[in-house]
Amino acid sequence: MSVGNKKDLVIKDLHKGFIVNNEEIDILTDINLNVAEGEFLSIVGHSGCGKSTLLKIIAGLVDYSVGMVTFGGGEIRKPGTDRGMVFQEHRLLPWLTVTENIDFGLYNITKEQKEAIIAEHIELVGLKGFENAYPHQLSGGMAQRAAMARALVNKPQVLLLDEPFGALDALTRIMMQKEILRIWKKEKMTMILVTHDIDEAIYLGDRVVVMSSRPGKIRKILPVELERPRDRSNVEFANIRKVIFSEFFADEKQYLDYAI
Amino acid sequence: MKGVELKIAMKLKTLKNVINYISFPILILIIWEIVVRLKIVPLMILPSIESIADTFIDEATSGQLLADVTISLRRVMEGYLIAVVLGISFGVFMGISSRVNKFFSLVFDGIRQIPPMAWIPLLILWFGIGETSKVVIIVKSAFFPILLNTMSGIKNTPKDYIEVAMLHNITKFDLFRKVYFPAAIPSIFVGLRLGLGVSWTVVVAAELIAATSGIGYRISDARSLMRADLVIVGMIVIGAVGVLMDNALTNISKHMIRWQKA
Repeated sequence: MSVGNKKDLVIKDLHKGFIVNNEEIDILTDINLNVAEGEFLSIVGHSGCGKSTLLKIIAGLVDYSVGMVTFGGGEIRKPGTDRGMVFQEHRLLPWLTVTENIDFGLYNITKEQKEAIIAEHIELVGLKGFENAYPHQLSGGMAQRAAMARALVNKPQVLLLDEPFGALDALTRIMMQKEILRIWKKEKMTMILVTHDIDEAIYLGDRVVVMSSRPGKIRKILPVELERPRDRSNVEFANIRKVIFSEFFADEKQYLDYAI
Repeated sequence: MKGVELKIAMKLKTLKNVINYISFPILILIIWEIVVRLKIVPLMILPSIESIADTFIDEATSGQLLADVTISLRRVMEGYLIAVVLGISFGVFMGISSRVNKFFSLVFDGIRQIPPMAWIPLLILWFGIGETSKVVIIVKSAFFPILLNTMSGIKNTPKDYIEVAMLHNITKFDLFRKVYFPAAIPSIFVGLRLGLGVSWTVVVAAELIAATSGIGYRISDARSLMRADLVIVGMIVIGAVGVLMDNALTNISKHMIRWQKA
């Protein structure tokens, strides 16, 4: 019985603990989440282990023993080229040029095909002209773009982003948020982005998952039914922001109003 | 006007720096000359600077110096290159696999703790005082700095890069070639420089004890002839060659790590 080709990500009853100093510490508890194909999902919460660990489990970098994580019906246990990941640090290999870094995971295709795919992705992330630059010659934003190109070059179905713009200055961050939306629209893939920036989560996501940490738990999932490009000063936007804000700062509890 | 004053001030500062650097060495040379001129110490023990210079010219022009240094260098090159190949190979395997590491660690640590010079009598028994014993002692001495630094470099490969490699499902060979090895190169070069320095030191010591050729032998021979000037010339040459070799290696390492930010 085939489980169908739909590339949905299903997380059911996921628990994850680490052993630190002979004690078991719960990092994630009761995670139940369905991510639809092509969706942009934001996960917002304090900086720390839970959210990143969840992403790494989806990426296949971290193992889990309680619960089930499947993608397109198949269990996720190891990394695979169907899932790409971008980290807060660009993690470009300093001894390789931008082109060589993007080439990193490309196998089983001819040289011409490689050159074409790399050129296509360099263009996609807006790094034309920097093919032969070394990472230390790039600015933070540019290096992150190169990291994205590297993650996208194998055409994954899911792109995982772990606080990808956290290391950038605020202005570059906003620009990169627009860039990632552009890439998302063009490539039509599923994106899951983890951030501690509430505004970023609302600006980018179709839905926002609000997570508490220690242990990591899903508190709320909010749909963001605003047209893109979104206006951060829009009333609706601000309302959603208030609701999420109040999840983290309980003494300022607010309720969603509908004003006419 | 301000610009000129600034330039003069900077030139004065440089002059002061230079004077600071060279005043102590010059002071030593002056004291040396005074001690010699006043015959405070027999010439056999502390030769005059002039005689050292003369001897140096003699040895250089007669080609003796060159011959001695060449012989010693040849031994160093043989031993060092073997140590480099062995050191890096073992270092890589022991760095990547903790199982391999544990397999070799006790024996290697044991050998390492015994100083090179203490190995000489055994090596002479086994190989005589020919070339082999000297090359072996050089290998033994240079191997460990190279091994340990290579291992350290490999082990300290940032986990971040390894995670990225895991995500891309790269081959084991590429993991080594593109991640572990380049990450280890700075440490490997530290090991190479230490190993080269040690090789040069050890060859001179080995020649002092058991050789009939080479610059170390030349010094020992000079001592038995009571020629302190020749001894000192030999020492200066040994020091100079050591510095030159280290500089050459440093330049190579700088070139190989040119992707690193200044």
